[in-house]
Amino acid sequence: MTEQQTGLTPEDLIAAIEECHANGWTDGLPVVPPIPSLVHRFLEHTDRSPSEVIWTMTQVKRGCTVQAAAINAAMAGCLPEHFAVVLAALEAAVDEGWPGLGGWQSTTGGGPLLIVNGPVRTELGFNSKGNVFGPGFRANATVGRAMRLIIMNAYGIRPHELDQATQGFPGKFSLCIAENEEESPWEPLSVTLGHDVGVSTVSALHTRSTEHVDNRNTGDPKAVLNDIADTCGRIGSMTRRFRRVGVVIGPEHAQLLAKQGMSKQDVREYLAEHSGRPAGTLRAAGRGESTAVFQNHPVAAAFDEKQASDIEQIPDDDLVTTLRTPDDVVVVVAGAANAGISTVVQTLGFPTKTIGTAVVRR
Amino acid sequence: MADVILMEKRGIPSAAICTDALKASADAMARIQGAPGYTFAVVPHPVSSLDADGIAEHARLAAPQVMAILRGEVS
Repeated sequence: MTEQQTGLTPEDLIAAIEECHANGWTDGLPVVPPIPSLVHRFLEHTDRSPSEVIWTMTQVKRGCTVQAAAINAAMAGCLPEHFAVVLAALEAAVDEGWPGLGGWQSTTGGGPLLIVNGPVRTELGFNSKGNVFGPGFRANATVGRAMRLIIMNAYGIRPHELDQATQGFPGKFSLCIAENEEESPWEPLSVTLGHDVGVSTVSALHTRSTEHVDNRNTGDPKAVLNDIADTCGRIGSMTRRFRRVGVVIGPEHAQLLAKQGMSKQDVREYLAEHSGRPAGTLRAAGRGESTAVFQNHPVAAAFDEKQASDIEQIPDDDLVTTLRTPDDVVVVVAGAANAGISTVVQTLGFPTKTIGTAVVRR
Repeated sequence: MADVILMEKRGIPSAAICTDALKASADAMARIQGAPGYTFAVVPHPVSSLDADGIAEHARLAAPQVMAILRGEVS
């Protein structure tokens, strides 16, 4: 449309963007004004009713309809074709359980890491290779941002109000990666989670920080895993003793591990066994309570209160592991195959039952 | 905050204790639960790093506020 046809001027566009800021609809960055014709194009990419409520957060008495999701996806700068991925992203985050447990409102300050698998990655231009956590790719940037705008606008979880984050982290603006299935030696995350090969999915992992492991110094797979385990067991990311971690393994590390015969399950088991700190190191950091014996046996038949409160029993030199089972290690392969770099994704402690996951319905 | 207001609505006298650092979020939740201006006991932040004596001192500060709320002496 030309200016002549609409009677609008470029100044009107700026005014519309500013109106979105004034209405409190943004994450601080400009948004695309969600004019009805644009929102309609998003709704054409789903057979779900605009009035369908995707999920209601009972503690804040608010739900997100398909239409509200479309408005926020449009504002985030998504293409209409991305909308099915946005809907799956919200379903995956809900599936993990944290939103209903106050995870989005917590002082701990995390947000969902979205992981895209399947054909939708290449069809819609999701980056799974170099700079996978960084800028430069519309699909990743805008789908992750749409998730945050839904949290802020549909559910009303805003900073200084219901979002009590003490510091938050940069991933709360947008955090969406795709798995580098082409350069991974193992089956994709979606298959590990029970989806069929070739099905497009979004998985969600409630994330507080991403921490890089830069090890291009060795060809020994166990040495690489020991380095990753050191970050998995870092004391500062502990809330209570046990946590879930995401391990986004760079293709170079993944191929090094696989060439030595390690399966994805081998990696998960090794990390569960070796991630942690000696009891004395935990005590020196004021985390003695994480050495309590009962936490080693969460399914013990009888609860022994005396033993449970004994935080001196484990010898200082004994390793206190921080991952209860290999299931609490979520392995994804992403990034470029150009250096030995992986990333540990720290989550919130006391993990929910599973990582969240949902199928992209198109 | 939500739990306390929901219990009040079921006729169970209840009182919440909150630290001053989290007052804004507590007020926001009270508005959402249909009880704007709901009164709760306020103690200084932080709590989780206190020793037993510190907790006892916080309890001394909170107790009269909680009793006043339960007796209906505040709105």
